[in-house]
Amino acid sequence: MAKKKNVKVMDDLKKKLKKKIIDISKPREKRIYIRVTPERAAEVVEYLFKKYKCKFCTATGIDMREGIEIIYHLAREDKNMVINVKTLVPYSNLEIESIGKKIPAFRWIEREINEMLGVDFKGHPDMRRLLLADSFPKGKFPLRKDFKNSDVTDEDYDYERSGI
Amino acid sequence: MDILKKSFKKSIWVFHLSTAACNNCDIEVLELLTPRYDVERFGIKLVGSPRHADALLVCGSVNAHAKPRLLEVYRQTPKPCLVVAFGSCGCSSGIFRDSYSIVGPVDKVLKEEDPDVKIVYIPGCPPKPEAMIEGIIKGLEAI
Repeated sequence: MAKKKNVKVMDDLKKKLKKKIIDISKPREKRIYIRVTPERAAEVVEYLFKKYKCKFCTATGIDMREGIEIIYHLAREDKNMVINVKTLVPYSNLEIESIGKKIPAFRWIEREINEMLGVDFKGHPDMRRLLLADSFPKGKFPLRKDFKNSDVTDEDYDYERSGI
Repeated sequence: MDILKKSFKKSIWVFHLSTAACNNCDIEVLELLTPRYDVERFGIKLVGSPRHADALLVCGSVNAHAKPRLLEVYRQTPKPCLVVAFGSCGCSSGIFRDSYSIVGPVDKVLKEEDPDVKIVYIPGCPPKPEAMIEGIIKGLEAI
């Protein structure tokens, strides 16, 4: 019975989001993957968040070599499902629309992805560093695959900025 | 200098500083103050300001955010002072040594500021209370 319902959810989403997404799939019961272009990501996530009352769990960023993949994890509690909105931000244009400017829950994770992976969230209201030290050199992103610890030496740190 | 040596004989006042520690060492330090070990009977006690301290107890692998703070506290401590690099992280940055935010263990950071700094190393994750008392005693003998 539950299985049938979930198929319905999938078809429903497919119909409503048809023009906005690249691909939609259901690898397991209670989980839906949606792939979107970076330009449409904010729109689709906001739509799911507001229209279906999805709870925002978190977002994750991974370096996929050809770009940074950002996955927004949304939980749809009325159907006990998790919806993952995936988008690949290419290295040639590391920009994506900020969702945090409209929904405050997205702000901190966007700050973290910004400092760790170097994705620029357009329109974010408060893009300070979250976890990295203020003295950490600008333009270095520690969670990228091509980052080595030897890239940052003690001379690169700017302790003037650390507030002491 | 004799009066300084005399002042180090008894009642070591310790300032406890946590530089990016996981808090396990900090909890073990409190164990020393409980009735079982009770280091206050030797006059060793924790004080609230580095300006009152004879010894600095530094826990944790020093990260970039904590480094200027550690140096500032070291500058404020009256010299001569004893620095205790506490736990595996304090001695060698421990398992965090290859992390991007770590700028080195306690001795590396402090030797940039003062090459003659006196450091006692107490390894362990966390060190046993007996080891801590032993370490402080050895440090005092060295001064």
